[in-house]
Amino acid sequence: MSDFKFKGSCWVVGDYIPTDQIIKSHRFFLPLAEIAKYVLEDENPRFASAVQRGDVLVAGKHFGQSSGRAIAVKALQATGISCIVAESFARTFYRNAFEVGLPIVEIPGIRGAVIEGDVLAADIPGGEVTIERTGQTLRGPRTNPFLLDMLRAGGVIAIGTRLADSP
Amino acid sequence: MNPIESILARASGKKSVSPGDIVIAEVDRMIMHDLSGYMTSRVYDEKVGKPLKHPERVIMVFDHIFSPPREVEAEVLKSDRDWARKYGIKLLNCGSGNIHNAVARGGFIGPGMVVVGSDSHTPVHGALGAFAVAVGNDCHAGMVFPHGKAWFRVPSTIRIDLHGELRTGTTPRDVALWLVGQIGEDGAVYKALEFGGPFIEELGLFDRWLFPLITVDVGAKCGYIEPDEKVFEFARAANAMQSWSGLDITPRGQRIPEAVLTYDVSKIEPQVACPPTVGNVQSVQAVAGKPIQWAEIGGHGGGRIEDIRMLARVLEGKSVHPDVRLNVVPSSRAVFKQALDEGLVRVLHDAGALWFPPSTGSNQSVNMGAMAAGESMISTHSRNFPGRNGSASASMYLSSALTVGASALSGRVADVREVI
Repeated sequence: MSDFKFKGSCWVVGDYIPTDQIIKSHRFFLPLAEIAKYVLEDENPRFASAVQRGDVLVAGKHFGQSSGRAIAVKALQATGISCIVAESFARTFYRNAFEVGLPIVEIPGIRGAVIEGDVLAADIPGGEVTIERTGQTLRGPRTNPFLLDMLRAGGVIAIGTRLADSP
Repeated sequence: MNPIESILARASGKKSVSPGDIVIAEVDRMIMHDLSGYMTSRVYDEKVGKPLKHPERVIMVFDHIFSPPREVEAEVLKSDRDWARKYGIKLLNCGSGNIHNAVARGGFIGPGMVVVGSDSHTPVHGALGAFAVAVGNDCHAGMVFPHGKAWFRVPSTIRIDLHGELRTGTTPRDVALWLVGQIGEDGAVYKALEFGGPFIEELGLFDRWLFPLITVDVGAKCGYIEPDEKVFEFARAANAMQSWSGLDITPRGQRIPEAVLTYDVSKIEPQVACPPTVGNVQSVQAVAGKPIQWAEIGGHGGGRIEDIRMLARVLEGKSVHPDVRLNVVPSSRAVFKQALDEGLVRVLHDAGALWFPPSTGSNQSVNMGAMAAGESMISTHSRNFPGRNGSASASMYLSSALTVGASALSGRVADVREVI
């Protein structure tokens, strides 16, 4: 990884996946390593057991909508994925991802352009994803420098004091 | 500046702010419920652990769990209670109502405040003229608890103007559901939605409540309704007016929102948000006849006295269908008392409804409301995603209290206009 550029094979999920489906509420009280075994259990029962460290998750529109629980981000992070690329994210999920330190990027058109297992090269700061199979590069908005700074620090807790004391 | 920009400018010690700016703002209130409180407190103890900067601004409400069904939930509440005592925050115990109604009625929220909460429906407090945003556990732990502050990107504002009179059988909740369908689930991502116009102005506070409630479901950051005398009266009675003075708000006629959306509500029929998402909104006729086993008045936007009155209006002197269990979950203790005083507890009891403690009811089926595969519920809840209430093969339909009542009578999703 050089400054949040990742390469990995991808998993693909659909539009409007709510946090409720990322991790169900009755799993909340388990340790994170256990929680990771139930990520997306209804949406894709194979994902949690077969996902490899460094894989990329590709999602459709408004990924992570519904409840704003940070545990949904932490559960995905605990599966070992390197980043999430989606058509768009729910704002609560988007905020939580940077605050927790999970790289994510919005790339319109991504879901229709990939098939599961494609190897993707994702550039989080630049807002670009290249699909190895087709050679196609898709672009979205560049990541806000403030959020990148938070990501580099590993999340909001690491820089909370600096932010609070800033003029 | 519009009210949201003005609130954010003052809270961050700036003369003015513009959409896109990132600001570090003082937080007036931080609210969390039993589940988010548990997760946030764990993160805080593990990673930060110093005294809270402003414990008096932090409120925890036990609302998903009103009586622990298992040891694991009892441990969650015990941990939350110990944490609240250790850090000196305010705790509203089991049976206080759902988080948002309990804190609003408890006088913790007022016009002009910056409110953050880990619950995604926190923007509902825009109905009281607060800038209210859902932020995650780590932001609370990293900034709000130790420093009393949070970061925000100033949103651009879309004005939504509503006018017209409602048809028989259509309620403010039908209008709010209909709007989700119109705007779309990712139709307003990161925006602030300001609701207004003659229709909104006519509504009471807890009917206005239903509009900022839906903002999260169209992707927006917050909702806002400019407070008027009705809101000030409520806030004065609740002793929550301290943040309203001293804001530099440009009069509405001189403000330029990013966009203005104008809607006539007079053609809207009773609406039902069908599985699998809140945005799958249809007129009731499109789903009428679908069998249901459960019906419920409750949730973050439900269980208001307005909902209970509507339900009683449909059910008075009648009986709930034998195949249906109808749950009534008041949104706060004040609402339950009001229902008692108005004789509605008796009316609904006699019709076969079951009364539950003030709470968030079947929300996420933590304490009640799990369904078996193939079962269906119709409710005033705010969410209908598969798997939230037990089986991922169960169905949740969202509607007004009138439609819930009509459906509870017939055992199927029903058009209230055929009943009243």
